[in-house]
Amino acid sequence: MASDDSLPTLKVLLIGPSGAGKSALLTRYCDDEFDPESSTATIGIDFKIKKLSVRGKAYRLTLFDTAGQERFRTLSTSFYRGAHGVLLVYDVSSRASFLTIDRWFDEAEANTVQGVALHLVGAKLDKAETGREVSYEEGQALADAHGALFCEASAKTRENVRKPFCDIVNQIVSTPGLLSGVNAGGRTSGTVAVVAFPFFCFVFLSL
Amino acid sequence: MTQLPYAIDAETPLSQAELDVLRAQYEKEDVMVGVQTKFNYAWGLVKSNVRADQHLGVMLLSEIFRTSPERRRECLYYLALGNYKLGNYAQARKYNDLLLENEPGNLQATNLQTLIDDKVAKEGLMGVAIVSGVAVAAGVIGGILLRNLGRKR
Repeated sequence: MASDDSLPTLKVLLIGPSGAGKSALLTRYCDDEFDPESSTATIGIDFKIKKLSVRGKAYRLTLFDTAGQERFRTLSTSFYRGAHGVLLVYDVSSRASFLTIDRWFDEAEANTVQGVALHLVGAKLDKAETGREVSYEEGQALADAHGALFCEASAKTRENVRKPFCDIVNQIVSTPGLLSGVNAGGRTSGTVAVVAFPFFCFVFLSL
Repeated sequence: MTQLPYAIDAETPLSQAELDVLRAQYEKEDVMVGVQTKFNYAWGLVKSNVRADQHLGVMLLSEIFRTSPERRRECLYYLALGNYKLGNYAQARKYNDLLLENEPGNLQATNLQTLIDDKVAKEGLMGVAIVSGVAVAAGVIGGILLRNLGRKR
């Protein structure tokens, strides 16, 4: 654990409309789990950490899974602080979800530093055969217009799930100045263990 | 050692400037304060590392919980989180359990449950350690006193 903390830390945000599948994508990528039954809307923000290596170098990827619901958007600017990359997620089987993406690009661009890595992801690719409402080309064109990477993925079938995460990290580390220019901030934990320690010493020594 | 899950909102306080923005909006709307404004401020307060802020945040969330049924699920989550940060673990559990009752598959609530259980276990052990420490100290001092008493006789 201690060695993980010393790795360079990258901060990536997942944003996009409610129900697009941000949490499902993240849970599949980090825990390799997918539960078609449980789809509860994220409250505020959720968080996961994943270690991964790109070009032979290890990174600690901190992933912030934001709520898509409108009621949490007024809180969202604080989520962007220190972000190196943003994954914008929509649902390929929902035209409506795709149509909101322009607004999400605006929000991401307004709240991040110049040169931040952007990656558009068309989620729920497993539904494409029967219920596709957004073509691959449309997704690619929108991504191009914003200088973003693009791919389609399915948390359900695992198809392409690793790709957006690997590609955005690759993009971040190959953008000069992005890693050093953004202060990602640190996390603290384990204070209780530290406080408890002297008491245990005392007990064991006195017995 | 398995790693504990995260309750990221518990560990990322807003900057003072950010919290000030939320407070200013809340105070500006005064008695006519909208539920979104009130929730935003309460959220910022619960995230804070200052106990007085956390207290006020929990109080505002309790009010929103009563007045705005459509906000109940997020109120339950942040009430649980706020009480967890304040060290009121029984209260934290109560609110989190209510949320889990309605949403058994909610991973954020499941994670928070793990964190609460872990804190209770650790502080329980610490309590035992303190009590045993005090008992041992009392024993040693008592022993010395008794011995001294014995010598005097």
